[in-house]
Amino acid sequence: MNQNLLTVSTSPHILGCTTLRSMYLEMMIALAPALITGLYFFGAPGLITVCLAVASAMVTEYVISLILKKPSTLGNLHVVLMGLLMGLILPPGAPWWLPVVGGFLTVALGMSIFGGNGAYPFNPVLVAWAALAISWPEAMGAYLEPMALGSGDDWMEAETFLMQLKGDIGTLEMFELGNVWLGKMAGGVGTTGTWALLAGGIYLVIRRLIPWQLPLGALIGALGMGLVAVYTDERIAEMGYEEFGAYLNVVWFHLGAGVFMIAAFFLGPEPVSSPVTPWGTFLFGLGVGLMTIIVRFWGSPIDGAFYGVLLMNAATPLLDRIRPRVIGKVVSGA
Amino acid sequence: MPRPPAAAPPQPLPAPAKVYLPMRQHQGAVAQPKVEPGDKVTMGQVIGASDDFEAANVQATVSGTVEAIIEMPDPSGGMVPTVVIANDGADAWSEELASPENALASLEEVGLTRPSRLLKRVREAGLVRSQVQGRPLHVDLSPPMAPQSYLYMTGIPVVRPIDTLIVKAVDPDPPVCPNASLLGEAGDTLAVGVAALARISGAKRVILALPSGVDASALSALAKQREWETASVSQTKYPFANDHLMVLSLTGREVPTPYGEPRDVGVTVQPLSTALDVGSVLLSGRPVMERVFSVAGEVKNPGVFKVRLGTPIGEVLQAAGGGPSQAGKVVVGGPMMGLAIYDLGTPVTRETQGVFVQSGPKVRHYADHPCIHCGRCVAVCPVNLIPSELGKLCEFRMYEEAAEQNLMNCIECGCCAYVCPAQRPMVHFLRHGKTEVMAGRMEQ
Ligand code: SF4
Ligand code: SF4
Repeated sequence: MNQNLLTVSTSPHILGCTTLRSMYLEMMIALAPALITGLYFFGAPGLITVCLAVASAMVTEYVISLILKKPSTLGNLHVVLMGLLMGLILPPGAPWWLPVVGGFLTVALGMSIFGGNGAYPFNPVLVAWAALAISWPEAMGAYLEPMALGSGDDWMEAETFLMQLKGDIGTLEMFELGNVWLGKMAGGVGTTGTWALLAGGIYLVIRRLIPWQLPLGALIGALGMGLVAVYTDERIAEMGYEEFGAYLNVVWFHLGAGVFMIAAFFLGPEPVSSPVTPWGTFLFGLGVGLMTIIVRFWGSPIDGAFYGVLLMNAATPLLDRIRPRVIGKVVSGA
Repeated sequence: MPRPPAAAPPQPLPAPAKVYLPMRQHQGAVAQPKVEPGDKVTMGQVIGASDDFEAANVQATVSGTVEAIIEMPDPSGGMVPTVVIANDGADAWSEELASPENALASLEEVGLTRPSRLLKRVREAGLVRSQVQGRPLHVDLSPPMAPQSYLYMTGIPVVRPIDTLIVKAVDPDPPVCPNASLLGEAGDTLAVGVAALARISGAKRVILALPSGVDASALSALAKQREWETASVSQTKYPFANDHLMVLSLTGREVPTPYGEPRDVGVTVQPLSTALDVGSVLLSGRPVMERVFSVAGEVKNPGVFKVRLGTPIGEVLQAAGGGPSQAGKVVVGGPMMGLAIYDLGTPVTRETQGVFVQSGPKVRHYADHPCIHCGRCVAVCPVNLIPSELGKLCEFRMYEEAAEQNLMNCIECGCCAYVCPAQRPMVHFLRHGKTEVMAGRMEQ
């Protein structure tokens, strides 16, 4: 009847414009402020660390795709994002092999072993991080004193604030609390710029690329557990902190310190390893928040939030069982 | 995307040289052709009928000669016996319809006529609820023939009279908007149509669901005068026009799924165009010959047209400025839920609401990437399913497991596929899964 061939396929006939590539690209854009803050304070050593991690992750992915004879997925930027995250949580100026091994482990151990994107149970970046932290604790703990660009050529090693705090609670008074939010303290390349991370995270929430329940849960968990922890810590009471406001200040400060923000907004909501249901994601976040504070007060001084994320990753299949009620599903016998 | 000018009244198209009238223009049984090739027919003459209650009569929509009875694809792609009539251009009504006796004179008469007589007229006119897979209107308005077995043990009364009529003036799938162009038609026809629908179904309460942010003052005024309730429905949150969701939001009653329908909870939902059709059938005493029909997407002159039933869709597209380019798509229905057709000769039927056209380069392709578990589909599913999991189960042929996770409750709205960043063909998986589940259950 007509010569013009028509295409036939199932509905819907229009699709949203979010693709994997655009989603990962936006996540990287959201990380940009944190990256810039990190580079401002840590300069060349920070840049080298990040670049090595990204490059190593990409090369690993390429080689693995050759070995497995599968099309390479470099095009959708997922691996680049993972490498970037790996670089951002490492100490700036780490020995060159640390980010290289980190990038390799992220892709090989974290993702490919389980079947690539969509199949891994744990956040690959944190799997690699855990492997590094266990294998080379000294190298992973060697942080630099932040220095604005151009203010000197010598990088001084420093302990992160949380390490000092663990040893001596008095640090709390010596340290300007605001610096914790500005990023002016020792830490991973991209983990210290708290405001920057928060801004990027809020951007992701607004763009609906991560569920809002997760960071909210994490904030509530950390805030609540933080208050409990502060109240029960005798050392803080001895210092003369008594009012609620003062306690709140300490907690506020805990939210900004360490890797909490990057875990709450970037590593926790990593799609594959976090739950999909609304309540599941909220509980996931809550768990991350609780773990952060618990580990900081009663465990090792570093990176409780990462343990929190890994632990909740393990609980994800369970959390996914908490489902909203299906509309129209009438309960039998009710 | 060029949209039809929303509030403009429909543009009438001349009757085509040939009409193609499928013997099934509804969900249900196929009608038997009552004419032979070579017969002379007049407008409104019944050319297809069936004893089956679930079938609607089919009338000739032009006067002329029956050319052939052939198998033709209908908009859903299936082959249906179709009567082809060559138009003689006279538009002559058959004798009894030229000066119909049983036309109602006024609105008051609706209240005086017995509901069963009104229903009989509706049935004779072969009205179909205007939507894809619409049921014949007389079936939709009659009480179920037997108590619905799925209602046992649910706590919902097994037999419940209809007490609410929802007339929905919102369009199901936005760029395709036949209802929007009818918002101005707030005359007697609508008043009679709604009154008749209420009388037939027994509804005491009439709710007019108007789109928010659109000028519908004429309708609101009529509603006030006739004491209908009005509800404003936001057209931004698709799928706002889904019957079940609308019943839930407007009356607070939850239709039991997957098998239930609004009348199980005492509600009937009818589109605005159906109410108008009922009104015109009762007032004129003649069956409906035309369909208001919107053409949207990539055509030169998108708009709302009033076309004879049985006009090939290709001819409507010509009037709108040409069909799609090579390998484009012509979708009967809207972009989210419509069906792509493969033959431009497919006729306009009583179920057709509109056509959405896409040019070749704009056709979107799905990818075969695995699900990345991002949860965006879960966030948008209007019936609270976990589409990601259902999609995976159906992809790996675990249909019964998917059914346990409420696969059958999916309304195929397409939201999950729309937002999926991995561009998985979600609705395709789910539909396929549903078909397999049904086939599996049939076998048992
Ligand atoms: S098509 Fe997708 S979003 Fe729509 S009801 Fe089905 S599963 Fe839910
Ligand atoms: S939106 Fe797509 S990728 Fe994301 S969970 Fe749903 S099916 Fe999986």
